[in-house]
Amino acid sequence: MRRNRNRKTNTDSIFPLKIDELKKIIKDKFEKNPDLTFNTYEQNNKKIAVFFISYQTDPDKVENFLLEPLLKIDKEWTGPTIKNEIPLSPAATANKLEDILRNLIIGEAFVYVEDEDAAISYALIHKEKRQVSKPENETVVLGPQIAFTESLITNLNVVRWSLRSTDLVLEKILIGKRAPREVRLIYMKSIANETHVNTMRQRLQDLDVDEIEDSNVLSQYIEDSSSTIFPQFYTTELPDRFCYTVGKGRIGVLVENSPTGILAPSTLFSFLESTEDLYMRWNMGSFLRILRFVAMFISVILTPLYVAAVTYHYELIPPRELITLGQSRAVVPFPPIIEALILEFLIELLREAGARLPTKVGQTIGIVGGVIIGQAVVQAGLTSSILIIVIAMSALASFTAPSYLMGTTIRVIRFPMIFLAGMFGLIGIIYGICFLIIHLLKIKSLGEPYLAPVYPFRWADLNKALYRAPYAYQYKRFLSFRPKDLLRFKKREAIKKHDIDE
Amino acid sequence: MDVNVTIKENIRIRAFYLFFIIVSIQIGVGLLGAPMYIFTEARQDSWISIIIALVYLLLVLFVMFRILNQYENADILGIQVDVFGKWIGKALGTLYIVHITIALLSVLVTYIEVVQIFIFPELSSLIIGFLLLSLIIYGVLGGIRVVIGIVFIIFFLTHWLLFLLYEPVMRMDMTHFQPMFHASIIELFKGAKATSYTFMGFEILFFLYPFIQNKGKAKFPVYLGACWSAGIVLINTVIAIGYFSPHQLEHLEWSVLSLYKIVTFPFVERFDYIFVAVWMMVVLTTMMLLMWAITYGLKRLYKIPQKTTLYLTSFILLVICGFISYHYLVIALTDQVARIGFWITYVYPFLLLPLVLLKKRFRKNKKGSEGK
Repeated sequence: MRRNRNRKTNTDSIFPLKIDELKKIIKDKFEKNPDLTFNTYEQNNKKIAVFFISYQTDPDKVENFLLEPLLKIDKEWTGPTIKNEIPLSPAATANKLEDILRNLIIGEAFVYVEDEDAAISYALIHKEKRQVSKPENETVVLGPQIAFTESLITNLNVVRWSLRSTDLVLEKILIGKRAPREVRLIYMKSIANETHVNTMRQRLQDLDVDEIEDSNVLSQYIEDSSSTIFPQFYTTELPDRFCYTVGKGRIGVLVENSPTGILAPSTLFSFLESTEDLYMRWNMGSFLRILRFVAMFISVILTPLYVAAVTYHYELIPPRELITLGQSRAVVPFPPIIEALILEFLIELLREAGARLPTKVGQTIGIVGGVIIGQAVVQAGLTSSILIIVIAMSALASFTAPSYLMGTTIRVIRFPMIFLAGMFGLIGIIYGICFLIIHLLKIKSLGEPYLAPVYPFRWADLNKALYRAPYAYQYKRFLSFRPKDLLRFKKREAIKKHDIDE
Repeated sequence: MDVNVTIKENIRIRAFYLFFIIVSIQIGVGLLGAPMYIFTEARQDSWISIIIALVYLLLVLFVMFRILNQYENADILGIQVDVFGKWIGKALGTLYIVHITIALLSVLVTYIEVVQIFIFPELSSLIIGFLLLSLIIYGVLGGIRVVIGIVFIIFFLTHWLLFLLYEPVMRMDMTHFQPMFHASIIELFKGAKATSYTFMGFEILFFLYPFIQNKGKAKFPVYLGACWSAGIVLINTVIAIGYFSPHQLEHLEWSVLSLYKIVTFPFVERFDYIFVAVWMMVVLTTMMLLMWAITYGLKRLYKIPQKTTLYLTSFILLVICGFISYHYLVIALTDQVARIGFWITYVYPFLLLPLVLLKKRFRKNKKGSEGK
């Protein structure tokens, strides 16, 4: 079997051949592409071809370190001598046309001496990338102010520096049949749950698509359920968050040309958890985390509650409020549900416009929309002034989600809730909440329950999801996901209590 | 049909969830009206009745555990087939499931009535029934683990309602409890029997037992759950007796709901609306557990796919709840369930236990003689 394969590779080899033939073959493949540079030199009666794509390679390196030694040193060049004498590393040999073409595209320069068995290639890759910059979407006040960039090399570099351990595995997987893209599966060998790693690897390898556009797209391909509105994998642009999560035994995925990393498995609570909770002291961190839960609840419930109360349950509203509300609503021509939908729609418009417009104009839009339109809408008698407060509050609350995806999800959920409240009042709202609970219970992330550690209930994990305990008490990793190594450090020494005057 | 069941590892549940299951299935629509029914029998000594009921309840649970522990991993359906033979066993199993179905129907109909009385007098029963049943279908489709997840989460989402009772507590009149120990033993037992509808539902243990991962630890959560729900009923009854005058309470059908009527906040004037709505969650857990038991039971007995049963039962229930829209029908149904349920849930285990023990003895002897 093996011998057969060997023979096959031998027959695949296009070498040895004349330089002119090679030139013809390569040029044919790059039809109407003027970018291929194919130079032929003659030295000691031997023809040498050097070919590369000019903008994919670093021109300085090609000239100074490849062409100069090659032409200056007076030698009879053969494959091995080139490898030995040219001061570049690493040199690889290729003899198959496919390999040559594939590597040409990613910026390798090839040297071929006539009638040799193989061409020698140097990775003189030139890739344009932006500098690492501050995070734009997931801003944090404390902690590292650095975000992933589009360059996979840079990202890997950042990750490696954060997790300086030989435990860290960065598996390379190519995804995409037509235009393959490099994807890295990142995990800690001695901590990550084997099943998770295998599942993720399986999903990545089995992915049969022509190309993937971005890591957000990839995460949608490999999610457990595509019908739900909830994101199942956390996508982050923060290397510190990425490394923290991977370091605790979960799995990260980085995709070439994408400035976001995928983290799996994720729970609902991880979407409401910011790395800032960790940098704060535990009590402040817990406060902020609980604040976010409350915010999410308010964001989903407040507007529907208004609609329900004003449409069906006047009795809920205390008399004095009722008078104000009645006066305010007296001029409004719509039923409450239309009123609320108009205003919600307005807020969504503002948000979308703010996100699409250039930063400077975006700020203006915010002011125009928030202050002027809000004021005018009430004066024009289109909505009641209390509704403005309600809508503004729920919009504000939805923006507290550290994950932009989750924030959007919450905002979208609000619309069916408003409809339910408009149709069935409080019963409708509770119906919606029950539906959400059942739905969340059914979702899985990489085969793990989405609501862990609340259900299945794990007491020991609550301090990582619902609130944050002091670090001395966080001596365990996330039990629900069964890491290989549960203990982070020894409990006894960490929380040793001293007697008075000891 | 096998007597013992093998449950896959991934759908097994830990024993402590039993606490939440027992509480959620016992606390449902029954609680809303319980104080009146107990009070009409035992008057101001109703609290003694509830304690008697609890003791009896614990006894029944003890017997149920004795029955279940005679087998490796069996549920009531398997045990009945083992004890009574294939045909009678299956017939009894079917009867059991019919009982659960009717109990489910009574819960559904009662809650719909409460909604119609307190919130939406004009909303059709069919629509409320559809809303509830759609949630039940959606939940039960997720299987036993999802159902128990809902039970677990809703337990925490609804128990805060108890704290709101502080307002009626502040206005209780202690003289309503005097003279104490006035009721005769018969009246006390009658009062205890009046709780039977409220406390019903723990027979789910007969179905769920094979799913328990650590059976050794199953007893404590179950007993604790029974005590907990008895405690809730006790608290509500005591407050109702203290808050309402005896004459008033006799005619107050939804006395617990009326207790919440006086709870006000600066931002919420009437709390009973919110209470009725939130109570939907509580009722939902009860109904989901019952529905799951129906689908699972029919699968065990007749190998009908659970999905078929689920859709069919829901459809039938929806149609029926559209018809039962008169108060006297609801009351009649509840009474029937309470009467039949009393025999099935509270008496039947005591009859079953000696039979199971006999059968076991018989089998052991047989095995022993064969060994010789």
